[in-house]
Amino acid sequence: MLRTAILRVARTAAVRPVAAASRLAVVAPTRSAFVAPKSIAWQAVRCYSAAGGLEKKEVYERIKLLLQGFDKVNDPTHITESAHFANDLGLDSLDTVEVVMAIEEEFSIEIPDKDADTIHSIDKAVEYILSQPDAN
Amino acid sequence: MSSTSVLKAGESAPKVLSLYRQLLRQGNQFAAYNFREYAKRRTRDAFRENKTVDDPRRVQELFQKGLRELQMLKRQTVISQFYESDRLVVEGGLSGKDNSGQEGIVRQKDTGWD
Repeated sequence: MLRTAILRVARTAAVRPVAAASRLAVVAPTRSAFVAPKSIAWQAVRCYSAAGGLEKKEVYERIKLLLQGFDKVNDPTHITESAHFANDLGLDSLDTVEVVMAIEEEFSIEIPDKDADTIHSIDKAVEYILSQPDAN
Repeated sequence: MSSTSVLKAGESAPKVLSLYRQLLRQGNQFAAYNFREYAKRRTRDAFRENKTVDDPRRVQELFQKGLRELQMLKRQTVISQFYESDRLVVEGGLSGKDNSGQEGIVRQKDTGWD
């Protein structure tokens, strides 16, 4: 009973600003007004303890972006999901260490030496990041 | 040096890479921007300069030199953290000139002529 009351209050509180916003948005009112309330109402009851979680796709995109900014990669078009750092991207072992350290910084984790030595390709890195609960 | 740090033929590569990683990590701990960037740049340059060395004795010598540098970095980063000052504008983030109107962040103040 109390729970449903809280949910109802939360939902109306979440919907109200959207209604105000859709009044302001003259150009594309119909679609945003239809889609937004659902997701916001869902977010309003989301617990703080819920894990965000990383998607495989997102991890890959972030690593790809990081490698595109790395000037020693021989050709940015060679960056694929299974690209090997040395064979496909033309990086030597020192570059690999730097890339792995950049990945650590990107996902705010610390990779111990013995694991870092096994990361030689993008899919290995993605797999390792997904296995780390602390990565974000 | 302890016996664990002595390189044996054939197993030097992982240890050298580990030293490289440790040096870069330690260099990143400097509080002062200029020291931090210099330490990382110097580490990268030194390893690249000597990447073609294949004489075991020379590799051993350079490895010992790297270990000494690592010890020095450990001492100096601790000292650097004692004397932390405002972040520079080039560092980005919560730094630079205070024009936000927010209190509570230690920022660089305008000095000199105003």
